[in-house]
Amino acid sequence: MKQSLATRLTLYASVILTCAILIFPIYWLIVTALSQPDQLRQLPPKFWPEEPRWSVFGKILEERPILLWLSNSALAAMGAVTISMVVSVLAGYSLSRFRVRGGDSLGLFILTAKMLPATLLVIPLFGIFRMTGLIGSMWSIILAHATLIIPFTTWMLKGYFDTIPRELEQAAMVDGCSPLGALFRVILPVSAPGLAATALYGFVLSWSDYAYARTFLTNAQGNWTANLGITTMKGEYISNWADISAAAILVALPILAIYLFLERYLVGGLTAGSEK
Amino acid sequence: MAEIVIDRVRKSYGPLTVLKDFSLEVADGEFVVLVGPSGCGKSTMLKILAGLEEATSGVVRIGGRDVTDLAPGDRDIAMVFQNYALYPHLTVAANMGFGLKMRGTPAGIIARRVQEAARILDVEHLLARRPRQLSGGQRQRVAMGRAIVREPQAFLMDEPLSNLDAKLRVQMRAEIGALHQRLGVTTIYVTHDQIEAMTMANRIVIMKDGEVQQIADPETMFAQPANLFVAGFIGSPGMNFLKAETRAGRIRLFDQDVPLPPAAEGTITAGLRPEHFSAGPGPVTFTTRPMLVESLGSEKYVYFEAPQANRLVNPIGRTDEERRGDRLVARLMNSGPITVGEELTLSFDPARLHVFDPASGRAIR
Repeated sequence: MKQSLATRLTLYASVILTCAILIFPIYWLIVTALSQPDQLRQLPPKFWPEEPRWSVFGKILEERPILLWLSNSALAAMGAVTISMVVSVLAGYSLSRFRVRGGDSLGLFILTAKMLPATLLVIPLFGIFRMTGLIGSMWSIILAHATLIIPFTTWMLKGYFDTIPRELEQAAMVDGCSPLGALFRVILPVSAPGLAATALYGFVLSWSDYAYARTFLTNAQGNWTANLGITTMKGEYISNWADISAAAILVALPILAIYLFLERYLVGGLTAGSEK
Repeated sequence: MAEIVIDRVRKSYGPLTVLKDFSLEVADGEFVVLVGPSGCGKSTMLKILAGLEEATSGVVRIGGRDVTDLAPGDRDIAMVFQNYALYPHLTVAANMGFGLKMRGTPAGIIARRVQEAARILDVEHLLARRPRQLSGGQRQRVAMGRAIVREPQAFLMDEPLSNLDAKLRVQMRAEIGALHQRLGVTTIYVTHDQIEAMTMANRIVIMKDGEVQQIADPETMFAQPANLFVAGFIGSPGMNFLKAETRAGRIRLFDQDVPLPPAAEGTITAGLRPEHFSAGPGPVTFTTRPMLVESLGSEKYVYFEAPQANRLVNPIGRTDEERRGDRLVARLMNSGPITVGEELTLSFDPARLHVFDPASGRAIR
């Protein structure tokens, strides 16, 4: 069907507008980071600093333990994602393949955990972690993030497993695999794009957390995650927004790198050719 | 290689019974085809045989061993699936060798057997490729290869040709037949296509609504169908059915007195295959006016109306087309030109008539 010029123009205009709205905050973050602190509030604003202050990144790396914060964030995210993937692969596969009495309701019930606001879960989690002596330890946010991630990843993986023909594992079982063997030898390798997307989702969820880190780690400075660390850069009377923006950019970079690395797995189509 | 015994296998899902006391003995090296319309239970039976579904009751023996409660991998069978179910992340060679690898066969032996199977199926040049790089026919061959590499006691095939185009299907049908001749492995093959069943099977099992309708070799199945369903299912086009009243060992068909086997009494359903009509006069001759003529080159399908007195009110069949009791079809070879609406003389031999009890559907002989 050939679209009219007006339709196409409207379409392009809305795409450009959407992209602009999405990209502008990132662009402004970069501009803020590279501007001299005294230029930030000038009117009219400059859309690119006359002398970009590239040294800001070196400066904040020297002044603040950004690398420690980043490694703590990475540890929390990797721990939470590892636990979440182990649980949700098995749970998602079971929900997808086995007919259990009340299985559908069970699946929906798992999702309701996600519908509760994170702040509501903070209170019971705090109680549990205090009892178990985990407040201030990395385990507190690893487990807290896992509770946040698992409902969604289970549901995502169930959806992905539903798209994989059952005949694949049936063939594997006829070939001598146990049901678990068929899952590990055939279904999981075939699900690489789904697993990658799910893991990335969990990673981003953990990486972007602030509330849990603020609640469980405030008194354990050595375990601060990047998001928690950055908020401490904001002073009571003076805030150096250029430094904070530069730190925010450094915190966003690992997610960008991981996305670029996983991109080839995220592209579907690995199952193509298994059937018909 | 082994004989297979299926003894009163039943499968129910709650109140719904999809397989009703299925029993079958398959001899060593035999090629048995399970055939029937969708939902007749043939694929369920095959999955029970493979161990992929559990039977509600009954026993399955392969090679004299009770395998009813064994896992699929412990039954020493190989299966070819309708959608091939090739492992997309593995190469053709790894796909074919997967079953041997699972059984701990040394790599050298796997490589040799994969090579040998690839040679038999003419897929040697594809061994390094992945399934997505293959055509439909090549995938089908690889799926066959995966089955034969294992040298199992039996092959189970679940509509393996239904995803191929018509021409390739005919070719692969012949190849599977030749492969069976060569390997001599007991094979159970499921299809809904009666032509596949007729051309490939040593014996055919016709099923409907979870019940076996008849077990026989293709010739017997065609010549002596056990009931109306089998008579209508086997043969293309299907058998014509006509209603008639018996009087003193005779019935009136096409306004003619036709002799019948002595066992028939009362109202009967007479069956006559389309190919048993002839153009021109014969033992029972009548005239009609064709409603439609389909020419296939060497033969013609001539559709004409059944006489009012012989029309079936509720003939056997599932589709509207099959349920049409007022239309008959004759399959005429080398008949010369036939025009729609013009008078045509047809005939048939009453010895070719099949007689069925309209209530039970069973054949009367």
